[in-house]
Amino acid sequence: MTSLSIDGTRTSGSDVRAQNVTACLALANVVRSSLGPVGLDKMLVTEIGDVTVTNDGATILNLLEVTHPAAKVLVDLARQQDEEVGDGTTTVVLLAAELLRRGNDLVKTGVHPTSIIAGYKMAMKEACKYIRDDLSVPVERLGRDCLRNAARTALSSKVLGGEMADAFSNMAVDAVLATKSKRENAFGSGYTYPIKSINVLKCHGKSMRESALLSGYGINATRASRAMPEHVSNAKIACMDVDLRRAKLQMGVQMLVNNPNELNRMQERELDITRDRVQMVLKAGANVILTTKGIDDMALKYISDAGALAIRRVPKADLKRVAKATGATVVVSFADLSGEESFDAGLLGQAAEVTEEHIADTAYTFIRGCKAVKAATVLLRGPSEYMLDEMERSLHDALSIVKRTLESNAVVSGGGAVETGVSVFVENFATALGSREQLAVAEFAEALLVIPKTLAVNAALDATELLASLRTAHYVSQECVDEASALALLERLGGGAAVRREDLRHYGLDLSTVSISGGSRGRLRNNFAAGVLEPAVSKIKSIQLATEAAITILRIDDSIKITEATMPEEPES
Amino acid sequence: MQRYGQAPVYIINTNAERTSGRQAQLSNVAAAKAVADVIRTTLGPRAMLKLILDAMGGVVITSDGNAILREIDVGHPAAKAMIDLARTQDEEVGDGTTSVIVLAGSLLAAAEPCLEGGVHPTVIVGAYMRALEDALEVLDRRCARPVDAQDDAVLRQLVHTCVGTKIMDVHRELITQLVIDAVRLVSQVAKGTTPQSREVDIKHNIRIEKVPGGELSGSRVLRGVLLNKDVLHPQMRRRIEQPRVVLLDCPLEYKKGESQASVEVTNEQDWDQLLRLEEEYVQQLCNQVIAVKPDVVITEKGVSDLAAHFLAKANITALRRVRRTDNQRVALATGARIVSRPEELQAADVGTGAGLYEVRKLGDEYFSFLEECREPRACTILLRGGSKDVLNEVERNLHDALAVARNVLRDPRLVAGGGAAEMTLRQGLLERAGAIEGAAQLPYRAVAQALEVIPRTLAENCGASVIRVMTRLRALHAQSSDPPMGVDGITGEVANMAELGVFESYAVKAQSIKTAIESACMLLRIDDVLSGVRKKDGAGGAQESGGFDRSGEDAGNEVG
Repeated sequence: MTSLSIDGTRTSGSDVRAQNVTACLALANVVRSSLGPVGLDKMLVTEIGDVTVTNDGATILNLLEVTHPAAKVLVDLARQQDEEVGDGTTTVVLLAAELLRRGNDLVKTGVHPTSIIAGYKMAMKEACKYIRDDLSVPVERLGRDCLRNAARTALSSKVLGGEMADAFSNMAVDAVLATKSKRENAFGSGYTYPIKSINVLKCHGKSMRESALLSGYGINATRASRAMPEHVSNAKIACMDVDLRRAKLQMGVQMLVNNPNELNRMQERELDITRDRVQMVLKAGANVILTTKGIDDMALKYISDAGALAIRRVPKADLKRVAKATGATVVVSFADLSGEESFDAGLLGQAAEVTEEHIADTAYTFIRGCKAVKAATVLLRGPSEYMLDEMERSLHDALSIVKRTLESNAVVSGGGAVETGVSVFVENFATALGSREQLAVAEFAEALLVIPKTLAVNAALDATELLASLRTAHYVSQECVDEASALALLERLGGGAAVRREDLRHYGLDLSTVSISGGSRGRLRNNFAAGVLEPAVSKIKSIQLATEAAITILRIDDSIKITEATMPEEPES
Repeated sequence: MQRYGQAPVYIINTNAERTSGRQAQLSNVAAAKAVADVIRTTLGPRAMLKLILDAMGGVVITSDGNAILREIDVGHPAAKAMIDLARTQDEEVGDGTTSVIVLAGSLLAAAEPCLEGGVHPTVIVGAYMRALEDALEVLDRRCARPVDAQDDAVLRQLVHTCVGTKIMDVHRELITQLVIDAVRLVSQVAKGTTPQSREVDIKHNIRIEKVPGGELSGSRVLRGVLLNKDVLHPQMRRRIEQPRVVLLDCPLEYKKGESQASVEVTNEQDWDQLLRLEEEYVQQLCNQVIAVKPDVVITEKGVSDLAAHFLAKANITALRRVRRTDNQRVALATGARIVSRPEELQAADVGTGAGLYEVRKLGDEYFSFLEECREPRACTILLRGGSKDVLNEVERNLHDALAVARNVLRDPRLVAGGGAAEMTLRQGLLERAGAIEGAAQLPYRAVAQALEVIPRTLAENCGASVIRVMTRLRALHAQSSDPPMGVDGITGEVANMAELGVFESYAVKAQSIKTAIESACMLLRIDDVLSGVRKKDGAGGAQESGGFDRSGEDAGNEVG
C-alpha cells in the first residue's frame, strides 16, 4: 500500500478492477430480469414518493442513484444506447457487464489487460462485420410487415406487448410513416423520419386498447374564452410567440408627463396597441390564434367577436410543430423592415379544421387536415398515470425502432439468434487466430451468449439445453459439417418441422406465450419467419457500445478518491 | 489505509430499500388488498361512511371511494397506484370509484395462487388481458340493454340506483329530480355523434351552490344562476323583473395603467385637475354603461364607491368581484356577452334572457338570484342542509349522480345492478375458459372468480348469509344467459334487479372493468421494488410513510 501525500484513498491493481467489475455486475443484475418478452417491470419510488413503473433499462438505471464511478459508466452507456438507438438498453448493459466479468477473470490468469482490450476490439470489429454482411436482410424485400414486426419485437418486452402488440405496432408504423419527410443535404438526398414531431397525448381513462393514432395535431390546451367557437373550419392559423397582453413599457423605463390629461391617454394607448395588434392579425384573415404567451381578456373579446378562436399559453414545442405542420411561420415580433408593425397573411398556416374535444375530464384542441405535413398524434389511454408514463416510454422505443429500421434498411432476427450466430462465428475466428488475443476473442464469443441465456432464464426455460442446441444450429449454418445428423437433432428440437440449412442462421429461442405456458422446456424456431426482427443497426450499435464501455473500465488500474475537502476558514470577502 | 479486499462495494445508494422477486409481487398484492379493504364497506345501499381527519385537522365524512382515497396517506407504492385508479374512474365516468378499487384488489388477490403455483407473471398478464377483451364482449352482448335516454322514467331509475347507495337515501326522490332537471336543462346535442346521444358539460355548466341551514328538502334547481353577493349600494333595487343584464370583466374605478408613469405636480391647480380627471374618468365609464340601459351590472373586478353612486342614481343594480366562472355562467344563462371595455358596449351585449333578479336572504347571508331564464344553457343546484359536512357529502353524491345521468345520455345503455352484471360476466368467462390452452387457463378463471367480489361485498355489507346468496346466484346464472338476478343491497337477498329497478350505466361498468384489470396487470408485471432511491441524507427509511408529501389534501374541504 502506498500512501499519498494528498488527503485521499487509493486503490490500485487487481483490487480496483475487482471492485469495478463487482459494481457493474451488481448493476446488471438489477436490470437482468427485465430483458425479453417475459421480462418483468421494476417499480421505483423516489424519496418524495413518486412512483415509476418501468421495463426500460435506461430509465431504471437513470432513476437509481448510482454512486460507484465504474457503475456510472454503465448508466451512461444505457443512456447513450437510448439516444442512439432508442431500444436495447438492457441488452447493452448485460453485455458490457459480462464482457467485464470475463475480462477480469482473464486478467486474474495473467493476461495483460491491453491484450484483452486488443482482443475485444478485434472481436467487436469481426462481429459487426459479420452481422452487416451475413446476418442482415434488407428491408426493401420485406415491406411494411417487416416494420410492423420490428416494432412488435421492441414492444414485446413492454407493457404494450402481448395481446396488444398488434395494435400498437401498427400504430407506431403509421405514426412514423406519417412523419416521412425529404431531406437533401451534402450527403445526398433521402428521407428522414423525425419522430420527435410525433405528439403523444396521455389521458387516463378508458382502456389501453382504446389508445389511437389521431389524424391531425392535438394540443393539451383549450380556447381562451368560452365565448369563442368550439369548431373552426378552413382554419387560418396564426402562430405567435408574442405577448398579447396589455402593452407595457420595458422594465425601468419611465414616462414623465406634464399634463394630467396625458395620463389617461397613456392608458388608452396601452389598450389600443394590443387592440391594433389583434385586429391586424384578424384582418390578415386569421381565425385561429395560438400564442405561447398570454392574451389580455380585453383582447379576447375582439377575437371572439370576429368568430375566431384563440389559445394562450401553448407550449413552445407544440407551437413549433403546429407551425411546421400547417405551414405557418412563428411570429416573434410584429415589427417589419420599415419599423412599422404589420402582419402578413403569408405567415398564416392552414388546416381543414380546428376543434375542441373533451376526453375524460380534459379539453384538447385538435388541428386536422394540416396543409403542409401530415401530423400525427398518438392518444394514449390507460388506467393510471404510472401506466401512461410507461406506455409512452414503450411507444417511444417502438417508434425509434421503426425509424432505425427505415433508415438503416436492414433487419436481423431477434430472440438470441444474432448473438448466438455471432458468438459461433467469433469463436471460429478465435481458433484461427494465432496471437495472444485469441483468449480474449474467445471470451468475447462466450460473453455474447449472455443474451440468449438470460432470455431463457427469464422465461424459466432450460437454458443449458436450449443454448447447446442453438449453438449447434448456428454452427451447422456456418460450417460444413456432418449435416445430416445435426439436422436430425434440430428437427427433434424444432418440433418436427423440416429444417433447411440456409434458415438456420435465423434460429433463436421461441419465447411466445404459448411455448412458455405450455410447460415445455422450450424450443427453437426460425425467428425470421416468426417475425421477431430487430434493426441491424441496433444490434451493431449495442455490441460496439458495450465493448467500448467494457474497455473503458478494464483499462483502469488505479482509483484515487480525494476526501471531501472540509471547508477551510471563511475567505475574507 | 484500509485493506480493500474485504471492503464492501457500494454501487447504489445504501438507503434504497429493495424487495424483489416473489416477495415484491406478494407485497404489492397485499398492499392492493389493504387499500381495497379500507373501502369495501362503502359499497352498496348499506354503505357506511368514513370519517377522515386529515393532517391539517380538517374533517371529511364520506362514502365516496375517490374522496376517501384522496385523503388517506399511504406509503406503499402499489397502494398509491391503486389510489390513482379511483381518480381515473372519477374523471372518466364519475361513479363506480369504490367498485373499481374493490375489483382491482380482488383481481390481484385472485392472482396470488397463480403466482404461488409458479405461473409466470407474463402469462398471468396475458390471460388477464384476454379475459378483459372477452368480458367486454360479454358485457356488450349479454348485459347491455339499450334504452331511450330521453325517457325520464329510464333516467329516474338509473339515478335512483346511484343515489340509493349514498347518504341522502331518504331524499332519494328529491335528489333524483334535481339531477334530472339539471341535466335536462343543460344537455345539448353533441356534434359528430348519433342524434340520440347528448353531451352535458357538468364541469362548466352546472354549479352546485351549498348554503348551510334550512333542510335538504329546500334544495332545488334554478333555471339560472345564484351569486353569493349582495347589491353594492343599499339604494339599489333588490328585485327586478325581466332584468337587462350587462356583464363586464373590467373595473369600474380609476385604475393605473400597466406602464410605469409618474406625474410631477408643480402647482395646486394641477393637483385638483388630476383628481377631477379621475372622477371624470369614472363618470365617463358609468355613462357608457348607463347608455345601454341595463338593470343589473355585474363585473368580475371592482366598482368604486363613486361608480356605485352613479349607477345607483341611474337606478341600476351593481354586483362586483364576481368569480369569473360565475360570470361565464351568467352569460350562458342570460345570453349576455362579457365586455372588457365599457366604451365598446353595444345593445347586443345586453342579456335579456333572465326572468327575475332578486336578492334573498338565506340563513345569514344575502344571495343574488338570476332565475327563470328562458333558455338557460347553465344552471345552478341550490343545496340546503344541516351542516357543512353533510352538504359536502351531498355535493359529492350529486356529482356522481350527475355523471351517471350524463353517461347514459352519452351512451344510452344500461346493465343490471346489484352484482347481476358481474355474475353474468363471471359465467361468460367460465364458459370460455375451457378453450384456453396451457397455464393461462388458471389466471383466466381467476378473473371470473374475482368478479364475484361485487355481489359478495354487497351481501356482506348487509349482513346476509354470504355463502347461501352466492351459491344461489351462481346457480341462477348458470341456468340462463343473462338473468337480471343480483343481490338486493337492502335486504341481502337474491332478487330480480329488473323488478327492483336497479340499473347502472354501461359506461361505468365497462370502465371499472377496464381500469381494474389493466392496473392489476401493471402491478403483476413488477418483480422489483426499489424505494427511496433518491434519499440523500442518512434519515432512515423507517418513517418513510410519513415522509410522502400530502400537500393539497384538504382540497376536499375547499370545493366551492
